[in-house]
Amino acid sequence: MSIIATGISKRFGDFVALDAVSLEVPTGSLTALLGPSGSGKSTLLRVIAGLEAPDAGEILISGEDATGIAPQKRGVGFVFQHYAAFKHMTVRDNVAFGLTIRKRPRDEIRKRVDELLELVQLQQFGHRYPAQLSGGQRQRMALARALAVEPEVLLLDEPFGALDARVRAELREWLRRLHEEVHVTTVFVTHDQEEAMEVADQIAVINRGRVEQVGAPRDLYEQPATEFVMSFVGPTTRVGGSWVRPHDLEVLLAPADGATEAMIERVIHLGFEVRVELVRADEGKIWAQLTRDQCEELELADGQIVYVRPASERVFV
Amino acid sequence: MLRLLRTFCLRGVAFLYLAAILIGPLALVFFRTFEHGFRPAWDALSTPETINAFKLTLIITAIAVPLNTIFGIACALAIVRRRFPGKGLVNAFVDLPLALSPVVVGLALFLLYGRDGWFGFLGEHGIQILFSLPAMVIATIFVSLPFVAREVVPTLREIGDEQEQAARTLGANSWQTFWRITLPAIRWAVIYGVILTAARCLGEYGAVAVVSGRLQGETETATLRVEERYESFDVAGAYAISIVLALMAVVVLVAMTAIRPKEGTT
Repeated sequence: MSIIATGISKRFGDFVALDAVSLEVPTGSLTALLGPSGSGKSTLLRVIAGLEAPDAGEILISGEDATGIAPQKRGVGFVFQHYAAFKHMTVRDNVAFGLTIRKRPRDEIRKRVDELLELVQLQQFGHRYPAQLSGGQRQRMALARALAVEPEVLLLDEPFGALDARVRAELREWLRRLHEEVHVTTVFVTHDQEEAMEVADQIAVINRGRVEQVGAPRDLYEQPATEFVMSFVGPTTRVGGSWVRPHDLEVLLAPADGATEAMIERVIHLGFEVRVELVRADEGKIWAQLTRDQCEELELADGQIVYVRPASERVFV
Repeated sequence: MLRLLRTFCLRGVAFLYLAAILIGPLALVFFRTFEHGFRPAWDALSTPETINAFKLTLIITAIAVPLNTIFGIACALAIVRRRFPGKGLVNAFVDLPLALSPVVVGLALFLLYGRDGWFGFLGEHGIQILFSLPAMVIATIFVSLPFVAREVVPTLREIGDEQEQAARTLGANSWQTFWRITLPAIRWAVIYGVILTAARCLGEYGAVAVVSGRLQGETETATLRVEERYESFDVAGAYAISIVLALMAVVVLVAMTAIRPKEGTT
């Protein structure tokens, strides 16, 4: 149930969507394809599903070559950003679709659909039409529909992209729990690094049709392989020609080794976190991330002169 | 106040225009037909030639509508969902019958199937095209070609292809995807197109007039019959047939209006 993509290339006219991309998704993992819009992450997912034919390269699903196989024979479940709900069918019929196509016995279908509706907490909504559901409910229905056929791999294309922030947070956690229960190999596409960090156990950062780095969320954050990964995964600020995490910036009241002078422009209190915006005489604006306690101890105020120094070990030059 | 006045003026103009162009003449036809009671109208309608004319119109419609429905859906799918060379040309050609005068269509068929035409040899083998049902059907199909495709194309664009892709990943082949997903999604557009096509077939005159030969009781459709009666100074007969054609149109229109509100819900 692993997915192995080797040397996948895809062009749309002059635009290179994927440039010899290789990626390995281990069995049972929950992998995020993370990148800005237009980076090629959705195209890669669609190539894995067979919805897009690559110009070069091959796809192995569960060790078998799936490159030339039609999407309906790949054993993949696909969830679309805008749900792709079958509007003329009830929720039940939507979920049952894959089983009906496979001509399973009626009793079996009814039982399986009941199970799935319970899994996605839509038991009472079986007889509604998609138009009568909220966005979050529609996406849960789409998930149940994809899971109904017991796919070898589950692919989700920006599954929470069209939902508001609260529902999105709810569904993220819910997807994490679902994955622990069902354990199907899952790949999901997102442009939201926080979402990727929270949900995935492996992240592939994709930029301009290439894989920049693959690794566990923590590794990407702490050992970014490229400048792009550093700036895309987590906040950064530029100090003296190198990238630093704002929470790795020390703010001192007196001059010290390696510290440069800066003036506090603004102190923004965000609850536990305090964001300090600073101007340095030589090269413009930077910002530091402090805890509330640190800020109070230093008694920082707008207009104050301080000295800043990066904690050296996590700097990317 | 001024706005109210303007609204009323606009409505008045619209109504007067409709009354002068549409309702007036129709009402007059009704009036003339039943001027001397129901009897003369019934007599005019029950002649064998007239009955045959209506039968012929219905047969032609019954052949042309299903064929154009299938072609229209296939054509719309090709235009919206596929990429192929010459697509723009196909898209433009579908509209051609709307722009071309039916008489020209009739003449073109005449040249094609006439004795010296490309397919003139068919006649030598005893296959009669001109002056018989096949030519009339072909002419009617040609003039009523665009309606289904024109209705379905925008609907297909609007629904997008995500539902179809979802069906594919769930195990449906293209045929199953078409029957279970695409067709239900475009059904109202198809029905609307079918109604327009049927209306066009029932009322077709020009192209059929050229290729039919107008043999009374044989290749004379209802619309041709109206003209024939009129030319023979049987004005009452012409009106009576017109009334029936008008009623058919009304039925078609009512069917269309009955369907329309449901369009919004799908």
